[in-house]
Amino acid sequence: MKLDKDARKLTKGLFQLSLTNGRLDQKKVSAVVGKVIASKPRSFVGILKEYQRLVRLEVGKHHAVVESATPLDKQAGDHLLANLRAKYGNDLTIEFKTTPELLGGLRIKIGSDVFDSSVRERLARLETQLTHA
Amino acid sequence: MSSILQELESQISGLKTSTTKSNVGIVREIGDGVARIEGLSDVMLNELIEFPGGLYGLALNLEEGEVGCILLGDEKGVVEGVEVKTTGRLLSVPVGKGLLGRVVDTLGAPVDGKGPITASAIYPVEKVAPGIIKRKSVSQPVQTGIMAIDAMIPVGRGQRELIIGDRATGKTTIAIDTIINQARINKANEGKPGFRPLYSIYVGIGQKNSNIARSLAVLEAAGAMPYTIIVSAPASDTATNQYLAPFSGAAMGEWFMDNGMDALIVYDDLSKHAVAYRQVSLLLKRPSGREAYPGDVFYLHSRLLERSARVDEKNGNGSVTALPIIETQAGDVSAYIPTNVISITDGQIYLETDLFYQGIRPAVSVGLSVSRVGSAAQIKAVKQVAGKIKGDLAQFRELAAFAQFGSDLDAKTKSILDRGARIVELFKQVQYNPLATEVMVTTLWSMQNGYMDDVAVDKIKDFQLKLQDYFATRKDAVLAKIRDTGAINDDITADLKAALSEFKSSYR
Repeated sequence: MKLDKDARKLTKGLFQLSLTNGRLDQKKVSAVVGKVIASKPRSFVGILKEYQRLVRLEVGKHHAVVESATPLDKQAGDHLLANLRAKYGNDLTIEFKTTPELLGGLRIKIGSDVFDSSVRERLARLETQLTHA
Repeated sequence: MSSILQELESQISGLKTSTTKSNVGIVREIGDGVARIEGLSDVMLNELIEFPGGLYGLALNLEEGEVGCILLGDEKGVVEGVEVKTTGRLLSVPVGKGLLGRVVDTLGAPVDGKGPITASAIYPVEKVAPGIIKRKSVSQPVQTGIMAIDAMIPVGRGQRELIIGDRATGKTTIAIDTIINQARINKANEGKPGFRPLYSIYVGIGQKNSNIARSLAVLEAAGAMPYTIIVSAPASDTATNQYLAPFSGAAMGEWFMDNGMDALIVYDDLSKHAVAYRQVSLLLKRPSGREAYPGDVFYLHSRLLERSARVDEKNGNGSVTALPIIETQAGDVSAYIPTNVISITDGQIYLETDLFYQGIRPAVSVGLSVSRVGSAAQIKAVKQVAGKIKGDLAQFRELAAFAQFGSDLDAKTKSILDRGARIVELFKQVQYNPLATEVMVTTLWSMQNGYMDDVAVDKIKDFQLKLQDYFATRKDAVLAKIRDTGAINDDITADLKAALSEFKSSYR
C-alpha cells in the first residue's frame, strides 16, 4: 500500500518523537504505537508499517550480526564486541550466527556496513578477478 | 635489501587477507528494469551497484532510506531480498582506436562477433564538459560531402549541428554520407604531414535493428568502417541502455579529443533518447512535466551536447563534433524536445517532406537551416564560390511565389529565377555519394560565372555529371591545384576559364 505525502510526513514526525538524544527510546516507541492505535488516524495501518520500517532500520544501525563458519568461543566473542563497541558506540547489540557456507572467517554486518573476511568472499573475489581481468 | 623485500611481501600478503569493508543494501522491489533498494547508506549518486550474478545497476535516486537504481542488464535472477553492494566506481566504457571498425553496445562490449576489443583506456560515461579556458574557437571544417550543406550551412570541427526533420526525409542519410566522406578524405590523405583525420562514431538509439544493420552494410560497402565506431542501443534494448548509449559514444569521442585527434559523433536519434529517459524517470517515480518528460530532460541533452568541443593545445588539441538527429512529428519544430535541442545546438539542418517528394534530395530547407559557427569554418575556395548562393536562393524562392501569377517578367527577375532553378537542380545529389571539395568548387564556380545559364534546367544534372567527368579525366591538375591551395587565385581562375570553354565547346 502506497502511503500519501501527509501520512509519510506524520510517520517521520512520530519517529522523531521516539528519539531521545538521537537514539531510539523504547518507552517512547511503545507510547507512540499505543497512541496511534488508540486514535486510529487515516490509513493508520500504513503509518504503523512505515513506522516499523524506520524503527527496524534504526535498530539495525546499532545491531551487529556476526556470522562464522563454526561457533565462536566466548572469549573471541567478547573481544569482538569490545572492539566493535569502541567503533560504533556502547549501546551496540550483538548477535552470533553459524553459517557453514562461509567455509571460514567472519562476516560482520552493522546497518549497511559489512566487514567480510570469509573464505567464501575471498573465493568470490578471486573468481571475479580471474574472469574479468 | 632482502629484509625490505620481505617486509613488503608480508605487508602485501597481509593486505590480501585483510577484511573488506563494503556497504550493502537489500532489494525491496524490482521490475521494469528498476530496483528499489533499502540500506546502502554510503552510496553516491551515479555509483555502480553490484547485484549478485555479475549484474550491475546505477544509483540514480537517493531518497531517505531508499535508493532507486536502474539495471544495466537482464533483471532475471534478481529477486526481492537479495543483497547488493556499492562498488565505489562510476560506469565506464573502453575507449581508444581498438574500437574503430567495431559495433559495440552501450557498455562497450562487442556485438559484432569479431572477438574481444583491446582498449587504450577506460573512460567514465558521465563526464563534465570542457570549461571555457580549455576551449578554442571552431575554425576547421568538417566536409560533409553534400554540396548544399558544405556551400550554405558549413559545419566546423567542434560544432554541434542538429539534423531535424520528419520521418523518412533523409536525416540518417546525411549523417551516413558525412561519415563516408570522412573515410574517403582520411584514406586519400593518410600519412600526409599536418593532416588531421576525423574519426566517426555512430550512436544508434532506439533504432530498429534492421536499420542499424543497413547503415553498417552501407558503411562497410563504402569502406568507411576502419574509421568508424558504431554504438548500438536498438529498440529491443532496455530503456537504461538506450538512455546511456549517447553518453558512451561521447566518452569514446572524448578519448580522440584528449589525444590530439578529431571525432565526429552522430546521435541517431535524440527524440528516442528522450523517450527512453522519460521511461526511466517515470519508473523511478520522478515527477513528470510537459509531455510527461521529466524536468531535467533539457539538462540531459545540454550536458551531452556540451561535451562536443574543440580544445586547445594544452588540453588535448582535439575536437568532438556532434551531429544530433531529431525526428519531428508532421513538421512540428515547436514540440518540447525539438525546441530544446534547437536551442542547445549551434545551428540546424532542416529537412522537409515536401521538398523530398518534389525530388529535391537532400531535402534541405535553405530558409530554415543555419549554421551559427558559419563561414569561420569554411574552406576559402568554397567561401569564394558559395558566398552569395544562400541569398540568391532566398530571392529565388520569394520571386518564384509571385512569378506563378504572371508571365510578363522583366529581365532581372527572369535571370534570378533562372539562376535559382539551376542552383536547386545543382544541389540535388544521390545518397551515399559525397563529393570532394574541389569538385564542388569547380561546379559552383561554373554556375556562378554563367557557364550554366544557357543549359536547360532539366539538363543541368547531365551537364554537371559530364563536367565532373571531364575534370576528373582531363583536368586533374586543376583539381589538384584547388585541393592544395584551398582558394581560387587568378592562376586557377584562368585555368578554370580555359577548361570550361573547352568543355562547353564539346558539350551537347
